Amino acid sequence: MPVDKHQIIEKEKAVVEGIELSSDWNRMFEQRVIWDYDLTYMDKITELDGGESLGWCYQCAQCVPVCPVDMVGSYGPRKIYRAVQVGADLFNDDYLWQCTTCANCLRVCPKEVDMIKIMPAVREQAVLDGNVPGELQEAFENTFEYGNPMGESPRKRADWVKDAGVEVPVLSQIKKPVDLLWLVECYPAYHPRGKEASQALARILTALKADYGILGTEEKCTCDTQRLAGEIGLFEEFAEENIRLLKKYKHNQIMVTDPHALNALRNEYPSFGGKFDVIHYTTYLAPLMSRLNLKNSLDIKVTFHDPCYLGRHNGEFEAPRAMLKAIPGVELIEMGRCRENSYCCGGGGGGMWLDGFMVDHVTERLSEKRVREAVETGADVLAVCCPYEVSRFEDAVKSTGNEGKLLVKDIIELVDEAMR
Amino acid sequence: MPSQDILVIGGGPAGLEAARGIADLGYKAILVEKRDRLGGTPDEAQYAALTPDLRNAEEAMDEMIAAVANNENVEIRLDSSVTGTNGTLGDFNVIVKNGKGSEKLNVGSVILATGFQHFDPGRETQQYGYYLYDDVVTLVDAEKMLKADTFVRPSNGEVPKRVCFIQCVGSRDRQIGNEYCSKVCCGIASKQAIEIRQQVPDCRVFIFYIDMRMYGYWENEIYWPAQEKHKVNYIKGIATEVLQKGDKLLVRGEDTTLGRPMEIPMDMVILSVGMEPSRGTKELAEIFGLEKNKYGFIETIGGALDTVSTSVPGVFAAGACTGPADLEDSVAMAGSAVMKSVITVRKAKGSKQ
Repeated sequence: MPVDKHQIIEKEKAVVEGIELSSDWNRMFEQRVIWDYDLTYMDKITELDGGESLGWCYQCAQCVPVCPVDMVGSYGPRKIYRAVQVGADLFNDDYLWQCTTCANCLRVCPKEVDMIKIMPAVREQAVLDGNVPGELQEAFENTFEYGNPMGESPRKRADWVKDAGVEVPVLSQIKKPVDLLWLVECYPAYHPRGKEASQALARILTALKADYGILGTEEKCTCDTQRLAGEIGLFEEFAEENIRLLKKYKHNQIMVTDPHALNALRNEYPSFGGKFDVIHYTTYLAPLMSRLNLKNSLDIKVTFHDPCYLGRHNGEFEAPRAMLKAIPGVELIEMGRCRENSYCCGGGGGGMWLDGFMVDHVTERLSEKRVREAVETGADVLAVCCPYEVSRFEDAVKSTGNEGKLLVKDIIELVDEAMR
Repeated sequence: MPSQDILVIGGGPAGLEAARGIADLGYKAILVEKRDRLGGTPDEAQYAALTPDLRNAEEAMDEMIAAVANNENVEIRLDSSVTGTNGTLGDFNVIVKNGKGSEKLNVGSVILATGFQHFDPGRETQQYGYYLYDDVVTLVDAEKMLKADTFVRPSNGEVPKRVCFIQCVGSRDRQIGNEYCSKVCCGIASKQAIEIRQQVPDCRVFIFYIDMRMYGYWENEIYWPAQEKHKVNYIKGIATEVLQKGDKLLVRGEDTTLGRPMEIPMDMVILSVGMEPSRGTKELAEIFGLEKNKYGFIETIGGALDTVSTSVPGVFAAGACTGPADLEDSVAMAGSAVMKSVITVRKAKGSKQ
């Protein structure tokens, strides 16, 4: 077997007994023989709240073939266990930031090794130690300062409503109870493509004569992704603030655009005293589709990407499909990896703010792999319903050279097109 | 003359359960044991706790012994060996010898429960240095230490910080001649690993294995708790050799899931020795003219659906004299052997009358 060049270590600067060695002289092979099973970090992790189950892995390796990161890199939950068992310090390792918390490993794990709990627990320690990739730290700081990870002005949070073409009720202005509180979230409020989807959704709610309102500039990030990326303190602070705000206005139900917000409100906020009836917009709209006057036949082939936090994490696979099937002239073609086994766009668990960091660890972006899968189906449109995805996949369409072959659209945009 | 009495040979778990069963059905059991006390290998090898339920072994065996000791339907012959037999089903004449002399017993059926012996790790291949290094011990040695609550390094009496088990010693090995899996060692090693972690909480425990064979409930009763609750480390890849390094033992092997060589210093190495037929099992198979398999265990002839009938009608075998068996197998087989031997003597009586 040839020598694995990756195992050659060449330090920029090495000092041996006071003598500085140039890199030519300090070339060495990484130790191959295992001298010790240093369990320091295994103990540290399994003693953390949420970290316990890392020690449960029995190396069956079912997680690795379904790990979206492993498919384009070398990360895999089983491998993390092994690395830590032979002494790797996960608290200071690049592997710590590669997991997107997509939960496909947990879906297949017979021992219920739960990376969705392990990763935030370990990352929290790294965050407390200030050991965070710069771009992620920036997203945390932006959230803290501006209430959104992009660092946009909080005063501009509701600017998108101006171009909606319909009146969008803001709760602080209408001063009356509503049936539906629409929690818009950050990307649908600020990102250019997110705004277009929000405007489309506003038009549809108007067409349905829905009794709804938004929080407008009062709204702040629900912070679920910051939590999964390890900023537990920030999450808790924002959760308490958001719960206070959501309780301030009378409503029967909360509708969210963002599956990550759905996850926060449904699964995390209750332990902070925020128990709300919360629903994703696709779940809300699917049964109402027949009430819309969809006069335009789109005549397109569409494939659909299940968001991790809508599908695997919260069990909604049908509503987005029901919406697509209700649009005239839409032919739905499924990708090989769909529903429970859907691939991940790479944005979850902090991946949204780690694109630069991830470049060094993957052969292609997760979003690029997914776009190639979508193109393979022959679809004209890749339909999504998570605000992380439009921008990620549109970039990936360009970087994979598929411009002109595939459009990326939120389901709500397709409904809007059929209605207009 | 036809007899309805049933001879049980061997006073371990299978023999005790068989004698109790015969007596409870109202038949007379004659229990012959070569040692001066009942309890079999769990007693002789001083087991600390039973696998998989971790029940105190002494207490459990005492309970089994009490069920036959004061039972008017059980005659017990200690310090006794069966040396010869003639006759057939329903009418065996068996010679039993002890220090004082010999007697001839007339019985209708025989149950052999003569058990196994632990593999001698000094035999055939010496690579683990059992007879070379004090700190290389077997499951049997470790069990005694755990029972006495003195789990220390034999070389210096110090409490070990790192201990490993090496699985499949004397089992699953064509060169040694024992191609079979001894079935219980994965469970016993894991059980002992739990006990070590309980008695010496600072001691890290590793188990080097080829496959972990924790069938049925042993998976959730021993394997999972060992790993999840007691933090025992399972490493796939059997160590090949043990070398002395300073006052430590250097365990050399390959960590197969990492594909890297390993040379790990250990304070103690426990060899998970497997099962072989006991001397008594081999001798009695000869005396009764029973067919044996290639490994020397008594061959049962009924396949999967009859685990106790031997090649000689009226002679049944239960427990580890037929091959690797755990306690659950042994007592279940004893029950089956009791049923078949009672049926035998009842039918024999009917046909002779």
